[in-house]
Amino acid sequence: MTVLSFTDGTSEKRERADGVEIVRVNPYVMRYPDFVSWIEGLNMLMVECAADLGSFDLIHVHDWLTAYSGIALKHMWRRPLVATIHATELGRRKVLTNDSERHIHEMEWWLAYEAWRVICCSKYMMNEVHSSLGCPIDKISVIHNGYDPKMAKSNRKGSSGKNGKTVLFVGRLVYEKGPHLLVEAASLLKDKDFRVIIVGDGAMRPYLEGLAKKLGVSDRVTFLGHVDDETLLSIYKEASVLVIPSLYEPFGIVVLEAMSLGIPVIVSNTGGLDEIITEGKDGLKFQSGSPEGLARAITKILEDEGLMARLVENAKSRAKEFSWDTTADQTLDLYKKVLEEYNANNWKPRAGLR
Amino acid sequence: MHISWEYPPWVVGGLSQELKALLPEIAKKVRTTLVVRGDRDEVSEVDGVRTFKSASSIRSSPHILAYIHALNIDLVRAASAAVHEDGDFPIVHTHDWVSGLAGVYLKSCFGAPLVTSVYTTELTRSKALGSLLSMGIFDIERHCFNRADLVVVKSLEMREHLKENFGVERRRIVLARNADELIEAYRGIQD
Repeated sequence: MTVLSFTDGTSEKRERADGVEIVRVNPYVMRYPDFVSWIEGLNMLMVECAADLGSFDLIHVHDWLTAYSGIALKHMWRRPLVATIHATELGRRKVLTNDSERHIHEMEWWLAYEAWRVICCSKYMMNEVHSSLGCPIDKISVIHNGYDPKMAKSNRKGSSGKNGKTVLFVGRLVYEKGPHLLVEAASLLKDKDFRVIIVGDGAMRPYLEGLAKKLGVSDRVTFLGHVDDETLLSIYKEASVLVIPSLYEPFGIVVLEAMSLGIPVIVSNTGGLDEIITEGKDGLKFQSGSPEGLARAITKILEDEGLMARLVENAKSRAKEFSWDTTADQTLDLYKKVLEEYNANNWKPRAGLR
Repeated sequence: MHISWEYPPWVVGGLSQELKALLPEIAKKVRTTLVVRGDRDEVSEVDGVRTFKSASSIRSSPHILAYIHALNIDLVRAASAAVHEDGDFPIVHTHDWVSGLAGVYLKSCFGAPLVTSVYTTELTRSKALGSLLSMGIFDIERHCFNRADLVVVKSLEMREHLKENFGVERRRIVLARNADELIEAYRGIQD
């Protein structure tokens, strides 16, 4: 197993970590007018690098970002191509408004078309790849993501409560993660006593700070920006509830981390979150895009300690169903199946090629 | 194996006419295959040249650099089919950067000597690199020309231009103005 990735020059060009050979390509040897051509240049350098690394039985690429090299290597080597589509341009943007976005969308279509099999991290993404990229549903396998159980080893014994009740958001501050919904929900609950902590950074932060001010909740909403893992763990320890108000969420690994740490969760009923959480059993769900629904869920959970305890207990066992080990086993099974099909097929490289 | 982004009836600029005059002449003397963009994927015989056409897989690109790179992946697709279906090619010959990218991909995987003809460069077309796009194309040209085992030019001025601006050493540049001179140059790198 060799992983071909990217470096800006600050990390090792070649290293072995956790039994995986990692080779990194530095694309900053050329100038690029935009992100699309930057990605294309990186892909060309990756192909040059891949050819030097020897021969491989199977090529596995992730998203449109490495579609160019995956498609080129598939045809040159005549080896099967597997593609994981983590998210789509149409899903992220809802509408394609310029040629860059259309190019990315079409590259995703091309990748799904060329791939022997497509992997998605949730049923939601399977349907999205099927409907927006026209990929036959029987070509798609759902393999869930896992989470890092190291995070869960810290011993959380419920929030100390010494700082009062805390509603936590962890994520990039971008529209699709829905952080504005939490700020709006906080403004609907001015009579309730709790504070909101927002961890993470992103383009939306100035807007969100302005929104909190405008809605009169800036005194109870704190923006912490990006924090390191240790700080995050201590923040988790103090949190009464974690809110994941995403408008678009292919999977949502953060929910598993919170569940394993014993923090009650409120999620929007969208994407992978909707599949992981069963309403009222291992978490609460609200209508995606509705601050009123989120406000109701926050009230419900903060006012019912019994409910909180039940959710936490069930969530811990639910989270155990997801692990990177399982993800890896299922991925290996898929490789085996693809190679069996490939071996039974007459689409092969010409004999005698190096 | 020649690779081009245009060949009649698909005409964008002068390159297609240039190749229309050159390739049938070469084909009279050595086995010649052309990989070129077409309306659909198709293998045929045109003017004695075995032709692998490749349709563009995508339609939208923000600018010509992104478009040409994606198109070259399609050219790689057709060139790979030619290699696996028709057998090894002793030489891959690309024309300007618009098919030079495919040459870089193919050389890295198949190892055949790469010949690149240069008719114009971003500098001769734009005079100065006045935009990020021009700079990007210049850098891609540099990369492609420097991956070539042999760079073919039609004038001494172009030879100087490539030496001065693209760092192509004199020993890698050959002047070839017709099919005979080109075949002579091919023999040179095969020896």
